[in-house]
Amino acid sequence: MALTLTCPVCGKRNGYEFRYGGEDKGPKPDGFGLTPDAWCEYVHMNRCVAGIQKEWWCHKDGCGVWFTTHRDTLKNLEVDPMEAPS
Amino acid sequence: MSRLQNRQTLRVDPGQTLSFTYKKKTFKGLKGDTIASALFANGIRIFSRSLKYHRPRGLYSMDGECSNTSMEVNGIPNVNTEKVLLENGMQLKAQNVKGSPELDIMGFMDSLDRAMPAGFYYRTMHKPARIWPIALKQVRKVAGLGRISPDFRMTGEYDEIYPSADVCVLGGGPAGMAAAAAAAESGLRVILLEARPRLGGFFDYRQSEFGPGVPLHQHARELEAHLQKMPNIRVFKHTSMIGAYSNNLVTAFQKGDENDDFEERYLEIRAHSVVVATGCIERPLLFENNERPGVMQIACAHRLTNTYGILPGKRAVFSIAHDLGIEAAVDLFDAGLDIAAVADIRQDSPNEALVAELAQRKIPYLSGWLALSAHGSPLKKVVLATLQGTFEKKFECDLLVASAGMTPVTGPLSMAQAELSFDHHTGFFLPRSLPAGLFAAGRIMGLNDPQAIEASGRIAGLSAAAACGKTSETALSATQATLAGRPKADRGNNLVMAPVKGRKTFICFDEDTTVKNIKQALSMGFDATELIKRFTAAGTGPGQGGIPGHNLPLLVAQHHADTGTRTRPTTVRAPLVPTLMATYAGTNHDMSKQTPMHASQKQEGGIMRRIGVWNRARYFSDDLSCRREIENVRTNVGMLDATTLGKFRIYGPDALKALQRVYVGDMSKTPQGKIKYSAMCNEDGCIIDDGVVAQKGENDYYFTTSTARAGTTVEWIRFHTRYEGWDFNMVNLTDAFGVINLAGPRAREVLAAISDADISNEAFPFAAYREFTVNGSIPVRVMRLGFVGELSYELHVPSSWMETLWEALAEAGKPFGIANFGLEAQNVLRMEKGHLIIGSESEQRTTLHDVGLGGLWDRNKKGTDTVGVVALEQTEQQDKRLKLAGFKMKNTDKPPKDGSIVVDDRIRGHVCIARYSHVLQEVVGMALVEDPLNEIGHELHIYEDECQGQLVSATVVPMPFYDPEGGRLRS
Repeated sequence: MALTLTCPVCGKRNGYEFRYGGEDKGPKPDGFGLTPDAWCEYVHMNRCVAGIQKEWWCHKDGCGVWFTTHRDTLKNLEVDPMEAPS
Repeated sequence: MSRLQNRQTLRVDPGQTLSFTYKKKTFKGLKGDTIASALFANGIRIFSRSLKYHRPRGLYSMDGECSNTSMEVNGIPNVNTEKVLLENGMQLKAQNVKGSPELDIMGFMDSLDRAMPAGFYYRTMHKPARIWPIALKQVRKVAGLGRISPDFRMTGEYDEIYPSADVCVLGGGPAGMAAAAAAAESGLRVILLEARPRLGGFFDYRQSEFGPGVPLHQHARELEAHLQKMPNIRVFKHTSMIGAYSNNLVTAFQKGDENDDFEERYLEIRAHSVVVATGCIERPLLFENNERPGVMQIACAHRLTNTYGILPGKRAVFSIAHDLGIEAAVDLFDAGLDIAAVADIRQDSPNEALVAELAQRKIPYLSGWLALSAHGSPLKKVVLATLQGTFEKKFECDLLVASAGMTPVTGPLSMAQAELSFDHHTGFFLPRSLPAGLFAAGRIMGLNDPQAIEASGRIAGLSAAAACGKTSETALSATQATLAGRPKADRGNNLVMAPVKGRKTFICFDEDTTVKNIKQALSMGFDATELIKRFTAAGTGPGQGGIPGHNLPLLVAQHHADTGTRTRPTTVRAPLVPTLMATYAGTNHDMSKQTPMHASQKQEGGIMRRIGVWNRARYFSDDLSCRREIENVRTNVGMLDATTLGKFRIYGPDALKALQRVYVGDMSKTPQGKIKYSAMCNEDGCIIDDGVVAQKGENDYYFTTSTARAGTTVEWIRFHTRYEGWDFNMVNLTDAFGVINLAGPRAREVLAAISDADISNEAFPFAAYREFTVNGSIPVRVMRLGFVGELSYELHVPSSWMETLWEALAEAGKPFGIANFGLEAQNVLRMEKGHLIIGSESEQRTTLHDVGLGGLWDRNKKGTDTVGVVALEQTEQQDKRLKLAGFKMKNTDKPPKDGSIVVDDRIRGHVCIARYSHVLQEVVGMALVEDPLNEIGHELHIYEDECQGQLVSATVVPMPFYDPEGGRLRS
C-alpha cells in the first residue's frame, strides 16, 4: 500500500499503477537439453531474497514501459540502486 | 437553557436555530453545535448506559475519547455525538437501554460486578461445555451498544481522493498551523488535516494571553487567516487521520458538511514529509465512580462554556493536576460558575499567578488533594482527599472537573514507526527516534507555553521542508533560538490514582474495565500490558484506547517495579478512530465499455450481458436457445458485432522478430493477402491466446487477439522482448476499429451489393485478407475466417464508420432477411464446428497439444527463442493430461450443464460446453478429459449437479460435428 516506484519515463508514482514482473533472472537459458525439472525450476522457482532484490515492473496504468528496479523485500520499499548490493 | 452571549470564543450562531427530535420530543440547538453540546444545552446529562454494568454515562471529553455519548442518529448506530455537527431534523435515539438512559431497567447489572471479574466469560460460561451455546446466545443479546438490522442499507455518497503533497501536517492547532505555514513559505505543497470541524486546537477557546493584548483564541484565528492566504496549503477540516504507513503514506477520512456532495470521504495522502502535531488528550483521573454524569475533563468544561456558551453546571468542584485546570476554573468562575474548591495534586509546581487569581476570587485551593469518590447520578456530591487519603472533605456539587494531567496523542507517531519511551519529567511517552521524513511538534512533546508550541511547530515545518530539499538555515536557527528562550516542557505526572481499592474506578469506560479488574488480571499472572488489555478488554472499545491511554501501561508498570523505561503504550492499529464501513467501501464506480453498435443492438432486441469490461449482446430472442438466430446463419445470412476483439498494429525493423518470439507458428510465412492463424503460449506451453496475423506492408503487421487478452497483449510482447533492445512499436487498435462478422451462405451476395471489389471465391478465397472500400468511401480490412463454420467475412472498419457500414449491410441484406445473431448463437455455431474458445475449452494448465492444436507449432523455426516451445516439446508425450474431446450424448436430447464432471472411479475431467444442435438433431459438446478417455469411441459418464447419482452418458466422436470437410466455410 505504501509502495511507490520510480518509472524511468514518468517518475515516482503510486505502486498501484504498476504490475510486478518477477525477479530479474536474466535472459532465458537455452531450453533445449534441459530436463523438465530444470526448465520448471527456471520458470517458476525464485530466489525469494529477504532483502534487496532486482526485479521487473511494468507501468501498466501509465506509459507501459517495462523496467528494472531494486526493492527491499523486508520493508516493501523501493531502494536507490546506489545502495543496492551488486 | 439560556446560553452565554457576547463571548468572542463562541463558535455557535445564536441567530440560527436548528431542531431535532429525541425521546419523542423536539429540541432546539444552534448552528455550530455538536449533537452532544445541543443535548447538554437542553439539560440532558445522562446520554447512555455502559456496556456491561449499564452505568449512566454523560459528557466527559468533548472529543469522543469514549463512547459515553454514542447514540443512534437518523437510523445509524454508534454515532459519536461529540464529533458530529448538529443538522436540522436529526432524529436521535439512545442505545443500550431498556427504557431510557435516565431509567434503564438493566441498571441492576451494576450491582452484579462481583459475579463478573476480569475475563469472567472466558472462565465461567463454558463449564460444563454444553452451556456455552446458551451463554453465547445470551451474551450476544446484551453485548454491543448500537443495533443494526442486516437489511439496513446505507444512503449517501462516499467518495475517495488520493492527493499527494510535499508535506502533510497532522493537526490544525497552533503547532500544526505554524508548521504548515513554515513549510508552505518555500513554495512546497502542504496538506493540513484537522479532526475537529474548526482549526485552532487548544488556543481556540482560551482567553489567556498569547502576547500583550492578544488572547490565545484571537491569535489562533490570525494563524488561520495566514494559512488561508497561502494557495499552496490545502486544509481538510473535520478530517480524522486513521492510519500512517511507511513511505509517509497517511490515510484519513473526512466528514462532509452541507456544502459537500459526499457524506464522508476517504483520503489516501502520499507525502514526502509528515509533521505530527496532534496535541494532547487529558489523562483521566482515577477515583471511585470517576465516570458519573457530571464528571468531565477540563477542556470539556472549558469548551462547553467558551465555544458553545453553555455553563456546564451550577456548582463545581475541580480536581486537577495541570495549570490548564486552574485557568479553566478562573475563566468559568468569571462566566458565572460557582466553584466550591479546586484540588490540585501538585504541591510544588503550579503557576503562582494563576493560584493568585483563585485567591482573588476566594476559591479554596487545596494543594496535594484529589477526588476520592463521586456520588449521585447525575452528580450530587464529591469527596476530596489528600493524596495519601489521610483527610477527606465532602462537597455538594453538580459538576466535577477531574483531570490527572495531559497525555500526548502518540497513535500517529507509533503507526509511523516512531519509537516511544517513557519520559519521567513530562510523564509522557515521547518519541525516542523518528524515522526519516517524520517530525513532531507542539504539546505532543510536552510543551505547554503557547509561544514555545508555536515555535516548535515552525521548526518542524521548516525541517519537513528541508527534507523535501528546501532548506532555510537562517529561519531555522532563528526559531530554534526563540524556542530556547521559552519555558521547557512542563513537569507532568506519572499515574494519578486516588487511594482507593478501585472496585468502581474505571480505567476504561467503553468496556467497563475497573482498576480492580486490572488487579485481578495481574494476580492471575498476566504481566504484559498487551495481554492485560485483551484479557480485560480495556481499550478495545470505540474510544480506541483514549481513556485507558497511558494510564493502563503506567498502572501495570507500577505493579512490576518497572521504572518505566521499557513500558510502552499498547500497539495502535488503523483505524485510529472508528470509521464507517461505507467510507472504506467508497463509491462503487462500475465502469464498462460499449461498442459503437450498443444502442442499436439493444433497440433491435439485443439482450446485453457484461463480459469482462464489455457489454455485448448475448441473445436476440426470448428463446434462449437462439434457434432462429442459429438457423438463420446456417441457411441465410446473419450479422454479429465482434468489435471487442483485440486488434494491434506492430511495425518497425524488428516487428517480425517480436511476432516470432510470442507466436508458436513461423510468422515469416505470412504471405501477402493471406492471414496466418496462430497461438501464443506461456512458458509452460499452455495456450493463452489465439489470433490471426496479416501483413499490411513491409515490417508492418496487423493482428488480432481474443477480447480477454486485448488489454495485456502489448505488455506481454514487451515483457518477452525486454532484454533484446529491438526496434519495433505497437499500437493498440482495439477501440479504434469496429468489427462486423457477416456470416452465412448468402453473405457474399450482401457484401457484393455494397462493394465493387471482386469478392468471388477465386479472387477472395478462404483465409485471405483484402482491403477495399464499401459504398465508395468506407475503408475496410476484410478477412475470411471460419469460426462459425459458414462463409463469413470479418470486416474491420474504423470505429467512426462502423454504424454507417452496419446500416449499409443491414439495408443490403434486407431482401435476404438478414438478422442479428448474438454471442449465445455464435457459441453454439462454433461448438458444432469443434472450434475452441480459450478459457472455455482450455484451462490455465492446458497445453497446445491438449486441445489438438500442436500443429500450429512450427518445429523448424530456429533462433527465435519462442515463448512456450521448450515446454511444448517436454509435454508432448506426457500422459494423464486432460485432453479435448468432442462427444455426443446417448439416449437424451437434454444437454448436461456446462462444467459437469466426467467420472468413472474418480473424477476424469469436465464438460466444457454442451448444447442441443438443431442442425444435427442431437446433443453434442466438448469436454476436457483425462487421456486416454479422449479417444474416439470411449464412453463418458457425466455427473451433473443435483443428479442424485443418476449419471448420463456420452460417446467420444470425431470433430467437427458439422461439415467435417469444411466445405461450407470455403465456398
